Amino acid sequence: MLDVHDLAPLVRRWSKHVDLAPDDEDAILALPFTRRSFGKDAYVIREGHEAVECTLLLKGFAFRQKLLRDGSRQIISFHIPGEFLDLQNGILGVADHNVQSVNRCETAVVPRAALADLLADKPAIRLAVWIDTLIDASIFREWIVNVGRRDSRARIAHLLCEMVTRLERNGAGSDGILDFPLTQEQLADATGLTAVHTNRTLQSLRRDGLIQLSNGILRVLDRKELREVGDFEELYLHQKL
Amino acid sequence: MSTSKEHPLSYLLRQLELYTDLPVEERRLVLDLPHRLRRLDAGSYLVREGDQPTNCMVLAKGYAYRQKVTGDGSRQIIAVCIPGDAVDLQNMFLEVSDHSVQLLTQADVADVPREALQKLVLTRPAIGTAIIKLTLVEASILREWVVNVGRRDARERIAHILCEFAVRLESRGLLSDHGFELPMTQEQLADATGLTSVHVNRVLKGLEADGLISRKRRHIHYADWRALQDAGDFSRRYLHISDHDTIAQTF
Repeated sequence: MLDVHDLAPLVRRWSKHVDLAPDDEDAILALPFTRRSFGKDAYVIREGHEAVECTLLLKGFAFRQKLLRDGSRQIISFHIPGEFLDLQNGILGVADHNVQSVNRCETAVVPRAALADLLADKPAIRLAVWIDTLIDASIFREWIVNVGRRDSRARIAHLLCEMVTRLERNGAGSDGILDFPLTQEQLADATGLTAVHTNRTLQSLRRDGLIQLSNGILRVLDRKELREVGDFEELYLHQKL
Repeated sequence: MSTSKEHPLSYLLRQLELYTDLPVEERRLVLDLPHRLRRLDAGSYLVREGDQPTNCMVLAKGYAYRQKVTGDGSRQIIAVCIPGDAVDLQNMFLEVSDHSVQLLTQADVADVPREALQKLVLTRPAIGTAIIKLTLVEASILREWVVNVGRRDARERIAHILCEFAVRLESRGLLSDHGFELPMTQEQLADATGLTSVHVNRVLKGLEADGLISRKRRHIHYADWRALQDAGDFSRRYLHISDHDTIAQTF
């Protein structure tokens, strides 16, 4: 369900990081924005484009990716509602990677200049954005470890644990049953594996009774064991914040 | 090059100015940040995973790396810190450190009290924005490392990381005569690229045989900068410094 105000998720997210005064909240909700929808598999942002706006994901799943010259793709992160897809582009001025939708996405697009003014005027929001970027960086560090030093089974299990933890924190899913629209090819591109290898790995996790993944629904059957297999410690998500 | 007269925070200021124009007053405030300088030996831990540091540490001189150890004990290096880098900005807010930072070389480390830095961020929008940008660029580099380890072959990975060092060092005036003293062993390079040290050794020999780099002990000379960038599938955009290849201009 969408919020009454499209930008309410921002207030909620940032107020976990810092104490927002009422006029901070008002300033966030007063940001100008336009709604934009994307179909499945669409490009939301393209690498190299000058950034004139920042895109907040309201509904759906999206991911950041980079394309290599041989045409292969590395997915760098997945995004769920309430997260900015390209805050860094808005602040740094140019998109250093692509953003694609997984399924149908609803977004709120905020002009870059308005966000810059907000950061300049509101110290508490500046801090909150900084904390957001620090958490982002922490997740990227864990992804380097995942593709650099874990085997395929651990990589997939780790990614599943991360997504489940983030989704549940967002209030999605119950009893370990979640909407999970990511394809095997996308999971492969996020873990540096081939689609075939990913398929085999998912099957073995299912055979061992840890998960079930079909028709876009993920069921976590043995959470403890999945975390064990994935070498998953959620410290890096900094969720207490 | 760094001299003993250099202000310990001058590389930090230089880094902030790569992304933001700072007024004179703000420049002064950065250099006037209270700090205590420590000289530490190679191998010293600056931060351990799980620590709750109270200071913010800036590398005034020397090199460090960020690392994580997996459950089965293998190590992944996730970033290399060069002079001017603040090694633990994240610990100002993320109560517990999610990774360790260790020195690669002997180093001078400036401890800045977190409150002093937080105050600057809160009271000076230009400095606040500059520090957010610095964090964002750090995240951008991390993303590129995910790509490097996830989808590039061994030769590309090593060539890429060497190109990245060159551009980052050059941006802080630390590259001399198209080369620098690589502060890492082949094993550490392997841990940064998800390879084995045997593999790294082979790749370095290959890059040298092809005339892309030359080596004397740990010193790396960028013999053919253009070809090395090509070998590493390297494009500098993700470093957000400037589109000008200032290294190419000096050949």
